Amino acid sequence: MRRDAMELLPGELKAVIGRLAPRTLDGIEELRIREGRPLEIVSCGQSRFACEDGTLHRSTDRAYRPGREVCRQLLERITNHSLYAMEEELRRGYITVPGGHRIGLAGRTVLEGGKVRGLREVGGFNFRIARARVGAALPLLSKIVDWPKQTVRSTLILGPPQQGKTTVIRDLARAISSGEWGTPAAASWGGRKVGIVDERSEIAASIRGVPAFDVGPRTDVMDACPKAEGMMMLLRSMSPEVLIVDEIGRPEDADAIREASHAGVRVIATAHAYDLQDAMGRPALRQLLEDAAFETVVLLRRGEKGVRFEIDSLDRHAQGHGRRAREPSGEVQAIARGHPGPQTDSRPAHAPV
Amino acid sequence: MIKLTGALLILFAGTMIGMFYSARLAARPNQIRQLVHALQRLETEIAYGYTPLPEAMIRTAAGLQPPVSDLLGLAGASAGEGNGQSFQQCWEEAIAVNWPQSAMKEPERLILRRLGTTLGISDREDQQQHLRLALLQLQAEEEAAREDQARYGKMGRNLGILGAALVVILMV
Repeated sequence: MRRDAMELLPGELKAVIGRLAPRTLDGIEELRIREGRPLEIVSCGQSRFACEDGTLHRSTDRAYRPGREVCRQLLERITNHSLYAMEEELRRGYITVPGGHRIGLAGRTVLEGGKVRGLREVGGFNFRIARARVGAALPLLSKIVDWPKQTVRSTLILGPPQQGKTTVIRDLARAISSGEWGTPAAASWGGRKVGIVDERSEIAASIRGVPAFDVGPRTDVMDACPKAEGMMMLLRSMSPEVLIVDEIGRPEDADAIREASHAGVRVIATAHAYDLQDAMGRPALRQLLEDAAFETVVLLRRGEKGVRFEIDSLDRHAQGHGRRAREPSGEVQAIARGHPGPQTDSRPAHAPV
Repeated sequence: MIKLTGALLILFAGTMIGMFYSARLAARPNQIRQLVHALQRLETEIAYGYTPLPEAMIRTAAGLQPPVSDLLGLAGASAGEGNGQSFQQCWEEAIAVNWPQSAMKEPERLILRRLGTTLGISDREDQQQHLRLALLQLQAEEEAAREDQARYGKMGRNLGILGAALVVILMV
């Protein structure tokens, strides 16, 4: 686990985590801290309960149980002793901390006029350790470049949750913005202006407006902004050449994307969907696909070896009865991904990993 | 000759004790006033500026005089350091370190300690309420302190000299 994440933990909890085996420590994906209940650690894809001596077990019998004081200290640390300054975050239910880690919160909600105004008495934390995989998207990027226009094609990335969609578009932003196109032939193109609308602060994990992850030198981030509005704002104010958004699906998102594609801006978006057929079942996505707002659809699959991309070029011009002709042989690309992955984190990387 | 020197020394010491006592009495309402200003400033920082607590503490301290500024500054700095301490611990520590230098008394200390248990750990309105409550209590203390000063300030000084004189007379 990265040091910046460790620093946030209160002493007692830090000591327990510090006693974990190094391999487990490196592979930590989630820390689930629940007041008075066993400490759960998700590492290398496995979920276990941790004992005070740092051993991991399936059973909860001897597990370490963080107490009230520990949870209070943790909450204070992650809010910088200022819960009052986190109203928006508490309403959304998570806090992004330096380093891009996200901490989901559960507790008793405070209602106002029937709407959730915030959380009081937080009893559960889900500490999601962020790690940027610099270079994760390069094999994909080389497949979605638009050669004549020297940019990328508008792309919709589909995949179920937890498949690494966000990781991929974060790295796409970085690569496009810094001009790493993944193919030597495009080396002289340079970077493009990229705009990211980061509604859930996941892509860039901005702290006070400054991205915590490396998203490239020519990237502007609209943080915690509703997607549709953010896209329009970026179009008006920052003249992006490529727009990147996460998890589209509402009708207003579709309108904004259409607007962007009419303005000649390339859009790279992700959506929760298992495959193209699944995506077609969602009205907003279907409309976009039928309007040919996207030129390419990529399916993301996370297998044993790493993330796999299945690329499906929707050819704008060859079509019968309004359906896109699909390229018969969807290219399949696999990236080997040694667990737990080289942690280059937010430092700029000059060579793809 | 020695007797005379001793008598003079006693007189001098008695006067000084009296002066010191009355100076403390005079400083107390002023320091409470400083504290009241500090809390008002803090309230603005918290309720309208959404400034994180450590920063708000340090900023507030910048406009004040010791010992109140030292207290807030120390609390803010140690909370901002991030050594895993809760704000309450930092606050208690800052009070413990700075209290001997101040002219304030137990009631103010209690008010501050009670405030320390709530600062930073609830929403904006709650913070505002706690700050206002502490403010009102401090204002009441300030008034009491001023009365004390008016009543006992002069008396303390006179008592010092007269007490010393009494001792001298008894000695002679």
